[in-house]
Amino acid sequence: MEYVYTLIILIALSVILASSFNLIIGYAGLISIAHPVFYAIGAYASAILARDHGVPVPIAMLLGAVAAMLASIAVALPSLRVSGDYLLIASIGFQLGVLEAIKNVSFTGGAGGLTNIPPFLIQSVGREAYVVLVVAVAVLTVLLTRVIAHGPYWRALSAMRDDELAFGALGRNAVAMKVAVFALGSALAGLAGALYAHYFRFVTPEQFELLQSAAMLTMVVVGGMRTTLGPVIGAVLLQALPQAITFLDLPTALLGPLQGLLFTGLVLIFMFWRPQGLVAAGEFWRPSREASDVGRP
Amino acid sequence: MLTFDTIAQVLWTSISTSSYLVLFAVAFALVLKVNRIFNFAQAALMTVAFYAANAVVSLAGLSGVLGFVAALGSAALASAALEIFGFRSLRRRNASQMFLFIFTLIVSELVAYLAMLIFGTWPTTIFPSLFWPVSLVGNIAISAWDLPAVGGMLGSLALLFACLRYSQPGRFMIAVADNPDLAELYGIEKNRIYLAAMIVAGLLIGVGMFLYGSRAQVQPTTSIELMLFAIAATIIGGIGNVWGAATTAIVLGIVQNGSVLLIPSEWQGFLLYIFLFLAIVFFPSGVKLPERKRGLARNVASVDLDTRQSTPANTVNPASATED
Repeated sequence: MEYVYTLIILIALSVILASSFNLIIGYAGLISIAHPVFYAIGAYASAILARDHGVPVPIAMLLGAVAAMLASIAVALPSLRVSGDYLLIASIGFQLGVLEAIKNVSFTGGAGGLTNIPPFLIQSVGREAYVVLVVAVAVLTVLLTRVIAHGPYWRALSAMRDDELAFGALGRNAVAMKVAVFALGSALAGLAGALYAHYFRFVTPEQFELLQSAAMLTMVVVGGMRTTLGPVIGAVLLQALPQAITFLDLPTALLGPLQGLLFTGLVLIFMFWRPQGLVAAGEFWRPSREASDVGRP
Repeated sequence: MLTFDTIAQVLWTSISTSSYLVLFAVAFALVLKVNRIFNFAQAALMTVAFYAANAVVSLAGLSGVLGFVAALGSAALASAALEIFGFRSLRRRNASQMFLFIFTLIVSELVAYLAMLIFGTWPTTIFPSLFWPVSLVGNIAISAWDLPAVGGMLGSLALLFACLRYSQPGRFMIAVADNPDLAELYGIEKNRIYLAAMIVAGLLIGVGMFLYGSRAQVQPTTSIELMLFAIAATIIGGIGNVWGAATTAIVLGIVQNGSVLLIPSEWQGFLLYIFLFLAIVFFPSGVKLPERKRGLARNVASVDLDTRQSTPANTVNPASATED
């Protein structure tokens, strides 16, 4: 039963990560693959606050999300001020830089990882309670994404993404909106990291490296970018598939690369043969094809 | 204590270790200038080049020269394949910049995982030993690797300069970089030039990765970190300015190596991320140096540039902002 609970928690965490990443890369059109680093910041901040400073776990979790949000603003503000393209470079540099720093400082446990993270709910109420908590956060994240994607804010986001110049001419502040969406998505990733840390009670920098970036990108691209349901399906699928591989009893050295190959291979296949993903948004993703056809007989 | 000999030694080591970094930066800047692609898949080409040389020299036991040829050939072939099957296809579909970004990132990760699966995750080298005989020139230690590395870098840059300045494909590259549509009107086939630029970049990557792999241990994800250096150098050097990227790579190499005198060595790698951040925040358009005056022709050219600068900054093509 514990295996099933763990699987449900992993799927729910992936749903939070994929939905929040979709908010950034899909709805806002901000190119960043450093979502795992905000997941890491949330996990480490919450774990260190609860373990070393005696902060109650629920407050530590919220502070973990706040830490991720603040870090994302620190990355986004200078890079988005220049151009959206720089966000990608800045975010990759930030991801690798933070992980390098985590490996080299002692209070994070270094490359060996952080252990003895205090649990939450599991010992006092039971494992089921934690499963309910994580699933509830996942459902709330999806609902939040849906509200954003179907309300007036979505129209503003679409306008900003599709024509920033016209958006600015209407008196709207594109940079502020981009930073806000980036911060919200990163805060949700930070919360997911905190939930992860207090369940598994052990985090290492290796868990947040480029494999995670590839996995999150796969969930969104394969599921369907700019849809509410797509990343959820992508997350469920991409958590279930590696589980199937683990049943093959392969050595650990092969398992990681195989999962990575699966993720990246799937993204490439979908990019060329079904760029809209499993759940199609029915617009945008391959916009210029229609544009180039305009005027042809 | 900081003596002249210490400074001279750090300077020499920095210049020699910058040799491969310069080549990576120039390859990245060239593709950005001509093909207008932030080619993160360069990391994949670097991985291919290294493991090709590793397979020929370390696994098959053949000579270093064959390993060098394998690095060059594999990187050029992989570059051509990337252009023909990847970029060209995406260009035909009018894929957005975001789509291209994701594609190059995913390709670099895919190749890294493939290398992990085939060659394992342990660091490895091209030659069995990383130790090269050292001789003293004055009080400066110069290894047997240093001179071929610096020579290889200078030779490659000289060939690139000659190619861009005097050969027809090189001139076409400059024309396509400046204005691809106008170049096409003049009968230049864009796709062939994009392919040529990718192959030239592949050759530079092959030389650079052979140099790197004969001096340091490499694992499948090493290239992704090396790529960030190339990106930082390209941004600070000025996007579209190939020679600016080369010069910046040397300066960054000197700063990074010189930092060993001031900070612990385990934090030396961290400096790269600081460079990158500072580059984006303070030098998004590169470091602007005062222009030299070179007579009438240059003055006339600068008048044209001034006229173009009257258009909004965002609409100016970054690739044409700097003249090579």
